[in-house]
Amino acid sequence: MTIYNFYVFDRNGTCLYYVDWNRRKQSGMSADEEYKLMYGMIFSIKSFVNRISPTDVKDGFMSFKTSQYKLHFFESLSGLKFIMNTDLNVGNIRDNLKQIYSTIYVEYVVKNPNCELDKQITSDLFRTKLDDYIKGLPFFAAKVS
Amino acid sequence: MADEVLFDFLHMELVSYIHQSCSKEENSKDISISRLESIGFRVGQSLIERFTKDSARFKDELDTMKFICKEFWNAIYKKQVDNLRTNHQGVYVLQDNRFKFLTQISNGKQYMESAPKYLAFPCGLLRGALSNLGVNCIVTAEVSAMPACKFQIQIQRA
Repeated sequence: MTIYNFYVFDRNGTCLYYVDWNRRKQSGMSADEEYKLMYGMIFSIKSFVNRISPTDVKDGFMSFKTSQYKLHFFESLSGLKFIMNTDLNVGNIRDNLKQIYSTIYVEYVVKNPNCELDKQITSDLFRTKLDDYIKGLPFFAAKVS
Repeated sequence: MADEVLFDFLHMELVSYIHQSCSKEENSKDISISRLESIGFRVGQSLIERFTKDSARFKDELDTMKFICKEFWNAIYKKQVDNLRTNHQGVYVLQDNRFKFLTQISNGKQYMESAPKYLAFPCGLLRGALSNLGVNCIVTAEVSAMPACKFQIQIQRA
């Protein structure tokens, strides 16, 4: 049970934060390209899912699974996108992503006058609090055999 | 529901607005800090009228300081001052280990340069409150490691 990495995007597609813990394979492209690719894909999947849905849309796109990992997605009302890649044993972690947004992002980025909301997050406090929270989650293991 | 954040956000924006509007003049940092301090002074004066309207007279200066550390700080920052020291010669040092405006900024040394901006208004607040209680003083603040900060009050005897 592990968490591989974590992205935060704002409404315009700027990657505000990226961190990884256990990433075993690099994507072979520069970080900027990867962020753009991730944002573009997620944006397209989201609108595709909403259009093709055969019933009323409640939450829209929430996660996708491959044979090796699962990608979880949460979007706040202000357009902030939180994306987390974990392994397959993890269930629905939307609530955790929501908590990251409300107790860590809002507290340490929005309330920090030195952090501009549409630029990369540089606050060390945010980094430490996020790290502590993630390491405290039951499905995070620092080492996978 | 979210009344505390209202004050935090308003203060953050006030600081950034004052700094922006003064940026064209010389000594812009000092001017902004003194403007924020005077705004705080006026607010402190009115606040103290409101908070002490039902209290008894203070026995002496130390009593006044204790009131400031407990009730006044509690009403504004929802906590009390952690440490009060004095040399009994008119100098008091108030230490707050988790000052409200600094807790979300950093936990140590990051963003240290911008910390004084957010202490100007609280200094003015203190000075205004004390002046309306009849104590004329000079208030300065210093930060060595966020979010702890110290306010130094120097009483001016006539």
